[in-house]
Amino acid sequence: MTVAVPPAGGGGLPGRSSGSGLADVIDTILDKGLVIDAYVRVSLVGIEILTIDVRVVVASVDTYLRFAEAVNRLDLASQQQGLPDLLSSAPQSIARGKSKGVAQGVLEAAGEKLQDMLASYAEEEPAPRARRRRREDD
Amino acid sequence: MSGSIKQSGAGDRAEAARRDTACYVYGILPEDVEISEDAVGVGEPPGQVKIIRHGEIAALVSDVDVDRPLGRAQDLVAHEQLLDEAAAEVPVLPLRFGAVMTTPEAVVEELLAPHHDSFAAALKQIEGRAQFVLKARYAEQPVLVEVLTENAEARQLRDRIRQLPEEVTRNERIRLGELITQIIAAKREADTQAVVERFEPFTAGVVVRDPSHERDAAHVAFLVENDRQTDFERAVGELRSEWGDRVEVRLLGPMAPYDFVTT
Repeated sequence: MTVAVPPAGGGGLPGRSSGSGLADVIDTILDKGLVIDAYVRVSLVGIEILTIDVRVVVASVDTYLRFAEAVNRLDLASQQQGLPDLLSSAPQSIARGKSKGVAQGVLEAAGEKLQDMLASYAEEEPAPRARRRRREDD
Repeated sequence: MSGSIKQSGAGDRAEAARRDTACYVYGILPEDVEISEDAVGVGEPPGQVKIIRHGEIAALVSDVDVDRPLGRAQDLVAHEQLLDEAAAEVPVLPLRFGAVMTTPEAVVEELLAPHHDSFAAALKQIEGRAQFVLKARYAEQPVLVEVLTENAEARQLRDRIRQLPEEVTRNERIRLGELITQIIAAKREADTQAVVERFEPFTAGVVVRDPSHERDAAHVAFLVENDRQTDFERAVGELRSEWGDRVEVRLLGPMAPYDFVTT
């Protein structure tokens, strides 16, 4: 094996722990690190690995439609004064307007809180898909 | 469950099947490390983490049940936390999630002994360094406003979509989204390059990761010497305030050098 860096000395400050969500963990330990299969042949055990794949497929029709939808919302938010009829049929755009009542603020805060909780286990919107992976396939 | 017997390792495999436990391997460390007795790893109930030493190196392991699949959130977090906490103190070569061997003896005979010298050399190379991951993501509204401002075709598509009923604009919406994806990808490439160049003076290694989200501005792993950590973190803080509301910047780490060990 190799370490892909030039050799050099090191210092001594102790590290701090990182606050990372599950999606961050998945990005790191399912894709990176040494692959044991490269070192061990005979005594490998193929335990089934089940993981929820919360990663987003960056270029997909789903992504495209989501962006288009976001642009649509953007339009409504910036032009809502001239489009009262559209506003009434798209209540979520009101939340982006300037006239935010107390109840609205509380609702938004609750929504953000929920999003934070979700984010720590399943970053962003897409529904998690259960996916089976087997060591031997890697 | 066929009756055929494979030539190599049939004995070991059969033995493991009888034992129903196997040896989960987290990573490779120098032999002079100690692990607290309450350290627990993957599995349900979580296995106690142990050290298997050989020569100058050692493996962090715990027993796992071979019949139970791995991969619950707790398993993933346990794997990374154990390695990252170890990496804060000693050099660690992290293994990818899911490395399981039959027995502790096999860990010595097939993993540690045959690769002893290269593992030991690699551990010396990463001594005194830790990995950080910078995750930068464009805030949705600002980046979409940018795209619309900069690109005439995007504006035209948006207008057309707004004028027509939703049922007939699926193609236009897909095209608009594709265009936005491409423009953001170009921004990502430029911003990632800027990030790499900006942090090069503070870092001992750089790996650009694939984007993990459609609005990623940069996703980059850095290897940082311990005595440059403060400079590095200050530079990240400066980048964060420069980008302001346009980009959300997160810094993960210090962690084990997952991106810098290559098989």
